[in-house]
Amino acid sequence: MPLGMNKHGSRSTTSLPPDPTEIVRSKACSRRVKLNVGGLAHEVLWRTLDRLPRTRLGKLRDCNTHDSLMEICDDYNLEENEYFFDRHPGAFTSILNFYRTGKLHMMEEMCALSFSQELDYWGVDEIYLESCCQARYHQKKEQMNEELKREAETLREREGEEFDNTCCAEKRKKLWDLLEKPNSSVAAKILAIISIMFIVLSTIALSLNTLPELQGVDEFGQTTDNPQLAHVEAVCIAWFTMEYLLRFLSSPKKWKFFKGPLNAIDLLAILPYYVTIFLTESNKSVLQFQNVRRVVQIFRIMRILRILKLARHSTGLQSLGFTLRRSYNELGLLILFLAMGIMIFSSLVFFAEKDEDDTKFKSIPASFWWATITMTTVGYGDIYPKTLLGKIVGGLCCIAGVLVIALPIPIIVNNFSEFYKEQKRQEKAIKRREALERAKRNGSIVSMNMKDAFARSIELMDIVVEKNGESIAKKDKVQDNHLSPSKWKWTKRTLSETSSSKSFETKEQGSPEKARSSSSPQHLNVQQLEDMYNKMAKTQSQPNLNTKESSQAGKQKEELEMETLPGPMVPLLATRTDGIIDMRSMSSIDSFISCAAEFPDTGRFSHSPLTALPCKGGISLLQEQGRPESSTPRYVEVNPGSESSHRSAFFIDSPKSSIKASNPLKLRSLKVNFMEEDTSTLVPASNVLRTYPDPLKSRGAAAAVTDTSLLSDRSLMSPETSIYTTASARTPPKSPEAQAAIAFNFHDAGIHKYIDADTDDEGQLMYDSSPPGNVSPKYSVANSGYLKQKDHVYRTEKNHLEAAALPTSPKVIGQNCIYSMEGITGRTQGNQETVRLENHISPEVHVLPGSGGHANTHDQSI
Amino acid sequence: KMAGDSRFPDVDTDGSEKSEEMEIVVNVGGVRQVFYGDNLNQYPETRLAELVNCLSGGYDSIFSLCDDYDPGKREFYFDRDPDAFKCIIDVYYFGEIHMKKGICPICFKNEMEFWKVDLQFLDDCCKAHLSEKKEELEEIARRVQLILDDLGVDASESRWKRCQKCIWKFLEKPESSYPARVIAVLSFLFILISSVVMCVGTIPDLQVVDAEGNRMEHPTLDSIETACIGWFTMEYVLRLISSPNKLHFALSFMNIVDVLAILPFYISLTLTHLGAKLMELSNVQQAVQALRIMRIARIFKLARHSSGLQTLTYALKRSFKELGLLLMYLAVGIFVFSALGYTMEQSHPETLFKSIPQSFWWAIITMTTVGYGDIYPKTTLGKLNAAISFLCGVIAIALPIHPIINNFVRYYNKQRVLETAAKHELELMELNSAEGKAAGSRSELEDFSREGKDDPFYSSRIKVSHSDTFIHLLSEEKNYRTRLQSCK
Repeated sequence: MPLGMNKHGSRSTTSLPPDPTEIVRSKACSRRVKLNVGGLAHEVLWRTLDRLPRTRLGKLRDCNTHDSLMEICDDYNLEENEYFFDRHPGAFTSILNFYRTGKLHMMEEMCALSFSQELDYWGVDEIYLESCCQARYHQKKEQMNEELKREAETLREREGEEFDNTCCAEKRKKLWDLLEKPNSSVAAKILAIISIMFIVLSTIALSLNTLPELQGVDEFGQTTDNPQLAHVEAVCIAWFTMEYLLRFLSSPKKWKFFKGPLNAIDLLAILPYYVTIFLTESNKSVLQFQNVRRVVQIFRIMRILRILKLARHSTGLQSLGFTLRRSYNELGLLILFLAMGIMIFSSLVFFAEKDEDDTKFKSIPASFWWATITMTTVGYGDIYPKTLLGKIVGGLCCIAGVLVIALPIPIIVNNFSEFYKEQKRQEKAIKRREALERAKRNGSIVSMNMKDAFARSIELMDIVVEKNGESIAKKDKVQDNHLSPSKWKWTKRTLSETSSSKSFETKEQGSPEKARSSSSPQHLNVQQLEDMYNKMAKTQSQPNLNTKESSQAGKQKEELEMETLPGPMVPLLATRTDGIIDMRSMSSIDSFISCAAEFPDTGRFSHSPLTALPCKGGISLLQEQGRPESSTPRYVEVNPGSESSHRSAFFIDSPKSSIKASNPLKLRSLKVNFMEEDTSTLVPASNVLRTYPDPLKSRGAAAAVTDTSLLSDRSLMSPETSIYTTASARTPPKSPEAQAAIAFNFHDAGIHKYIDADTDDEGQLMYDSSPPGNVSPKYSVANSGYLKQKDHVYRTEKNHLEAAALPTSPKVIGQNCIYSMEGITGRTQGNQETVRLENHISPEVHVLPGSGGHANTHDQSI
Repeated sequence: KMAGDSRFPDVDTDGSEKSEEMEIVVNVGGVRQVFYGDNLNQYPETRLAELVNCLSGGYDSIFSLCDDYDPGKREFYFDRDPDAFKCIIDVYYFGEIHMKKGICPICFKNEMEFWKVDLQFLDDCCKAHLSEKKEELEEIARRVQLILDDLGVDASESRWKRCQKCIWKFLEKPESSYPARVIAVLSFLFILISSVVMCVGTIPDLQVVDAEGNRMEHPTLDSIETACIGWFTMEYVLRLISSPNKLHFALSFMNIVDVLAILPFYISLTLTHLGAKLMELSNVQQAVQALRIMRIARIFKLARHSSGLQTLTYALKRSFKELGLLLMYLAVGIFVFSALGYTMEQSHPETLFKSIPQSFWWAIITMTTVGYGDIYPKTTLGKLNAAISFLCGVIAIALPIHPIINNFVRYYNKQRVLETAAKHELELMELNSAEGKAAGSRSELEDFSREGKDDPFYSSRIKVSHSDTFIHLLSEEKNYRTRLQSCK
């Protein structure tokens, strides 16, 4: 609850992690406990939670130290006796009811997959689901798995189309595309149309051939083909043969090609012709033999199969084939029904009619025909009952036939429509994937794949196959310690990676813009920034943008890097000036950051990110509270001290007022930094910061830079501030929703961060398409959104908001720095404090978005 | 105890003096709600009303009703689902309850039971949902029960009993073992063969003429038929012997079909051998002929082997009303159009419509769009009538058929869901029994010590709660679940 949190926040500024005795006392003083899950408050008896002592909530009571508590919950407040979990509130209601009643039910509209994640997180096994919900749950899950499996198969098929193994791969690929993918080019389309025309022509010729007027008579008195039509036939067959051979030659996998149903049809369409020729040529002398003639006739009939070649050009026909294959159960049912009906009615009518003179119902098999024709309501009228009894049976037969045929058909229809829908969906997915690939080739995305989300249920269909094993391994790892806060690290880093790559891409695409607005210091250095970014990517061994390496693969390396980095850096920090200069340059990259502190107006800006906050935890109340607090007058009030402390307080203040999940340690650690205590946490931090901006040192300093340097001279804390602002700058290019969703869903135990990759991907695509100046519609919307919030007139700012696309890229770099710093501190110190720091810097990352950007633009405009 | 009472005087006075205007604050799982005593007393049997009424009874009675009481805030705490509670309190204001969308009906029902609100207050619109779920559960329970029955082999039973069970499983559960499956396939083949033989036997070319000039079935076909009947008889007798409940067995639909499939053979056999003495030969032959029709019944034996056919019968049973509707529509149509057709065709000299009953046939054939062409209208008006009757026939058939199809499809799909549900239920039980044995002893102790300390009546509550699934038999196993939980 917002209220409780605020209180909590204030408490945490003054105190260290609470004493175990304090925790025990707080637990002992009440029989009940408040659980805040994603903003929804629950109150529950301790003894209820004790019913399942091995689950996450069950363990909560036994935790008496701060660390162990933080492992289990995301935040807590001892005064209020409240524990915060950053999870989906809807699912938790059902899970808490499991503790209360011993029965696990599931909300009906809840997605089965997401529910299973929640169950994983809370440590409840899915087998405890009650039977009433179990059926639905498992059915949905199975369905999902099946669907994903199918998708994986098609993707694997696509992947299989690689031409790198043999000679003239390039040409073969072109040929393959030309013949197999009519949508790939105009020529391919024309080729497809010609092919269809040949099929139609040859079938027409085949039918015309049987017209007696067009047939000739050979020397044996047998009818033969019309010579003109024979020519047509020969041309058609030649075309088909050529097509087939070309396809076969260009196909990447010959055996698979041979096995494919469509290709088998092709083969069957041309083979009869050649077999006929062979037979007639080799048996010219013995052609009069009847059996050879019969064989030839059979092969002639097989020519009809060529009409099936049309299936290649019509997805509708393919769906029909697939539907029939998939619903053979229902088809069998239909045939069984019909067979039984025919059996029964034909024997009935036989017994009714057999005494009639001149009856056509001579036996039961003879009346099968009648029953079939009647049940299917065709009714030729060649056989019909004549006795009264027979007519009654006939009437019943009609009605039964209508019923029996109608019953299983809707199921087949259902299958068909499902398949059809599925195919449409897949086509869309493939298109999206192709767009993604393209973007990746442009060198901008470190892809998070949506499919990773389901990695644990099926093998992945990710772009790179070997990645799968890694990701699964990692998942296991995370699941092992899914209680520990270290999980945060992963999710955040992935976040940073994607976001950074995103803005990186924006920057790249915005190059014309760069040239245009080269007057501003930021824009001057775009190239430099890019270099720096690349360098950073190298040092961090983050996944190269152009490779398909996954973020997880990168992370592991990153981890190693983090361990090695701090060592050599220490000497650099030995002289403080050095460090400060570095910081200055660092901040000069993000000159806007320090400017933010310079102008009172920026106070307002610093809280603009609040627009993003409600999505995070659904705590809108907080927003209301945060805003007034962060407005300028208040800001002055809060900071009565020196100018430097004034600035620092500003930065402290803003996170405090806006951070959703208050943590006792977060602000404390910040404060420590501000106090200019060279804490161990800060040392590596500044180290890292130093290394990255190095390439930028030579850069010309703008007016803003001096501001920054002044600021950084004044207090050690300024790098910290710049870090915050830089990091925060990530938010503008990202839509607040996406950010929130990723940040909080990814933190899940089971399937973590990949879940929202889908939305992310889409966002990515949007970036691709959006003009470089306005980063994305979302971005501008966000900006204007909070512009409206303020009552002041921001004409100038507005102008710059639109141009703010470019500033985002440097910011992202800064953000990357901070993440690596987090990693390092967390690694090297390994103690609780640094982990906390790392934990709590990132909330700020969410909290401060845009402030830097706006300050910056403001500065320029002035 | 004394201290508690002395700290509690305001409650006592409130309870006795002005319970009508009294306010009570209820906290359900963190959601606070204020109620007025008279409002709650509308339904005195509910838990909240009881709470109001026993406020004077002191701590003991209060704590028997709620989970916690905060004397400072005078707030009663219940450790229940707040969402369901919000819906349930509607009964005090509106006299009816609507289920919140998304809550599992079974879960909601239990909440209502906890608050002691009668199920009748649940509005009809939500009741349907509940009863549907209940039916589903019963169906699952029945399936699980069936499977459990098969599994349960009691060593204590006599040898004969065990043998009986073995045969029963062998014949009735094809999925239980490999030989049982072979038997099922064999039985299926026999049915097919006997049906084919029955059909083939009527082909005149394959019949032989006996001494008196009567056509008789071919001797080989006859012997095949005998063999099939022998198999059917054996099967039936074995089933009957091994069935646990003879009467129930004899009266079930599938077994009646079985009897009908074999009986005609034996009756005709006895008639041919003994009947000659009792009545005339021609009569006997007629009777035997009539009995031959009965052989058709064996086709229905296929239903035992096809779930699709069972679904069909179920769907037809369920949509009796719609079938009646279909027949009625058709009957009305037939009457109207045959009469019209008859009158309109009267003007034609060579009319095929000789009487109204005769034109019934024409009407049926036209309305079902079969159209043999043995009777057809010749006048213009008659043709017009035929066109209209055809259109009406299509509509009359299409309209009532839709709900029947719906029933069929729903049941067909549900069948699958239930199958998976039963499967999962069984898997769960297997898991429980396997893991429970392994880890049960240790965790059980731990669990009991906890439960015993904190909440003596919790375990009983758990037990009650598991009757949810209507599987009383499973309740023991299900209790295992909670124990199992602690192992994790």
